[in-house]
Amino acid sequence: MTVWRYARLYLEFVKQVLKVWLEYRVDFFIGALSTIVIQFASLLFVTVVFEHIQQLNGWSFYQILLIYGIAATGRSIHLIFFDNLWTLGWQYIRTGNFDRLLIRPINPLFHLIADRIQQDGVGQLAIGLVVLIVAATHDGTVWTPINLSLLVLLILSSGVIFSAVNLFFATLSFWMVDSLPVIFATFSLSDFARYPLTIYNKGIRVLLTWIIPYGFTAFYPAASILEPAKFGLMALITPLVAVICSVLAYLFWNVGLRAYTSTGN
Amino acid sequence: MIRVEHLSKEYKIARRKPGLRGAAQNLFHRTYDTKAAVSDVSFSIDQGEMVGYIGANGAGKSTTIKMLCGILTPTAGEVKVAGIVPYKQRQRNARNIGAVFGQRTQLFWDIPARESFNLLKHIYQIPQHRFAENLRTFSDVLELEPLFGRPVRQMSLGEKMRCELAAAFLQDPLVVYLDEPTIGLDVSVKARIRQFIREMNRNRKTTVILTTHDMQDIEEICSRLIMIDAGRLLYDGDLRSVRQRFGNRRTIHFDLATPATDTGMPAQLAPWVFAEWEGRERVHIQFDARQTSASDVIAAMLQSYAVRDLTITDPSIESIVKDIYERGLS
Amino acid sequence: MRKYIEIFKSQLQLDAAYNGWFWANAVASVIGLLIAFSFWHAVYRNTTQIANMNLPKMISYVVIAMLLGNYVSGVGNRLSESIRSGEVAIELMKPYDLLLKLIWIDLGSKVSASVRDSLPLLVIGYAFLGVQAPVSLAGGALFAVSAMLGVLIGTQFDLIIGVLAFWTVNVWGLRVLRRGILSIFSGALIPVTLFPAWLLHISEVLPFQSMVYTPVAIYTGAIPLQAVGMTLLIQAVWLIGLYVLVRLIWSVALRKVVIFGG
Repeated sequence: MTVWRYARLYLEFVKQVLKVWLEYRVDFFIGALSTIVIQFASLLFVTVVFEHIQQLNGWSFYQILLIYGIAATGRSIHLIFFDNLWTLGWQYIRTGNFDRLLIRPINPLFHLIADRIQQDGVGQLAIGLVVLIVAATHDGTVWTPINLSLLVLLILSSGVIFSAVNLFFATLSFWMVDSLPVIFATFSLSDFARYPLTIYNKGIRVLLTWIIPYGFTAFYPAASILEPAKFGLMALITPLVAVICSVLAYLFWNVGLRAYTSTGN
Repeated sequence: MIRVEHLSKEYKIARRKPGLRGAAQNLFHRTYDTKAAVSDVSFSIDQGEMVGYIGANGAGKSTTIKMLCGILTPTAGEVKVAGIVPYKQRQRNARNIGAVFGQRTQLFWDIPARESFNLLKHIYQIPQHRFAENLRTFSDVLELEPLFGRPVRQMSLGEKMRCELAAAFLQDPLVVYLDEPTIGLDVSVKARIRQFIREMNRNRKTTVILTTHDMQDIEEICSRLIMIDAGRLLYDGDLRSVRQRFGNRRTIHFDLATPATDTGMPAQLAPWVFAEWEGRERVHIQFDARQTSASDVIAAMLQSYAVRDLTITDPSIESIVKDIYERGLS
Repeated sequence: MRKYIEIFKSQLQLDAAYNGWFWANAVASVIGLLIAFSFWHAVYRNTTQIANMNLPKMISYVVIAMLLGNYVSGVGNRLSESIRSGEVAIELMKPYDLLLKLIWIDLGSKVSASVRDSLPLLVIGYAFLGVQAPVSLAGGALFAVSAMLGVLIGTQFDLIIGVLAFWTVNVWGLRVLRRGILSIFSGALIPVTLFPAWLLHISEVLPFQSMVYTPVAIYTGAIPLQAVGMTLLIQAVWLIGLYVLVRLIWSVALRKVVIFGG
């Protein structure tokens, strides 16, 4: 019942956003195009390097592309739908606008997330999907309905992990208004996820697996498909990590919200 | 409709250490100063009352309002709004209330006002016929029609405030909190807004709580005053007795062309006025218009001093609060 | 000149105030260095030479280029913001040349950034990542000159993007576009000599490789000392050309402001 209501409400928010996009069509295309160019730049980087080598630590070009594609698509889910989390500190709490969300008869986290749908993410989604298709048709994997739907599940999990980690760190804004640098620094860790974790030293691998689980946003999902013998289990663990992260982040959010309503701002 | 009993709110103010390292330290170990923003305040407000909730800046007005909205949890005491404890059931309470918070917008920044209202319809689950009817009624008084197509960020202050008011009353709330709804607006917009609030109250029995620094707002809208100072309830009663006491009070500010050698008052004024010197070139003279007239005061001053400039003002909220605080209301 | 120096100094002080961002950027930069370091080590696992560069040389290139790459952006953002908010009208009435003021602000923040942000990273690079010293003393000195020219070229290019705010609302998109183009063609990610021939030809006729690739190639010795004179000349020509272009666009934009009354 409640879920249904929120789904319909979200659609209403989306409708408004689409209207704004249509009104500023040129901006929309520039925004989408610009993210495509950025993605294209790093793809070109990988391509150029692979002009000179056959494999990177045992991974072929198309296998690297698959990792890259999963990272880009997962990240675009986060970017399109959960981007507003970034702005909690400086656009809501510092300005007092967060109070506006609290006097509405809906969940404030929902309201915060629905307040913005980020158009630039659409470009990233597009290029992520193209890369995925190119990689999937060349990396030697035999695709069946099973591992294909698994891929979809893993990508969704990747998007959820990105968002949950960000929610966790955005929640810090309830105590420190300028948490944006912290979120930014944490988010930059996700750049590690673009390449196979096996190229990094142990400390970084442990960090990205157990502490801030960005390893599950791209490498482990890709590896579970590319090398099921060695990494197959990761296909099960990844969605589990996504669920655990979301639950932890949401609990933490509630702690933050309680702190906010008891101290004010 | 609203019952507040022995309500208190203490803030713990963390002594912040600067910088990221300081912020990280603050996460684990903090030292606090305690500040009582609201202390032991009690009042109750019936349905359909229009109450001016006034006090100087930092007196605890917005803290009280935030507790009534459920945004803040009280340290002690009880609050009930329409039978609901706001901080325990914030979202249910939110259905019953509307609010205008001064300069902050309740609307959506980027989308046209019409669409903003439409989103509010969905958020508050307002039935379509009710929504359409409200919007039509509001447009008549507030002249919203020409604003519908524009996003808030392209509106002037007055246009924005008209939309804000419509948004606050849109879901037929039982209680509406208005925080400085007329600040910075020109006279005609102020009049329109006051008219709208009165009509809403008359036709729908909406309870209105108004905080303002504008005495005119209070005179034209409220029948009752609740005054708060330094977090404590100072006065709760009808507007009439306050008006009797202060309604005739005037202050004239004189700028002198040459410094005064003597800061006494001219003899014919001395019994009636209260003078406050600011250096030797400025003096503020307070008096009751029933006892002596502005023209007498000015004439006497012109005779005794070389006056360069003068202005006449009505008493400010701050001076009234200060006066009641110092001398009581008898 | 005096007032520009004051603007420059006030920017230095302003930058020192943003502590949180300092640490965040430091973390992000270290992460960037670690990724590059790990990536290139993995690349060189099965080979010793790529486009005539061995691993230590590549690491040196990538680290120095990454640091220098932080300086090719600048105050264009500030310009476009003040255009959007209309503040530019007030700025234009003040008794200084706005573009010159912005260039000095830019230099101010870049000087403070180079001491605060880049120096520690450079030390990390030398101490832990195996970054090599410049090929020779002369090479080091010429690198400094060339890097300076590169940064100034970057500032001018950034101003072009900023001025475009007079015509488009979404400057942000243009800025990202600029970042994308720069990360490919400036050489901040990868030496342009690794490009396939067709891409290299495109890069050679564009100003972007003058920003990062040229100075860093002088540093690593990829551009031999006797050829440095020519490359510096090319940089200087680009700098002057872009400067003139900025002024041109600026004057057209100002005419537009006058016509529309700001």
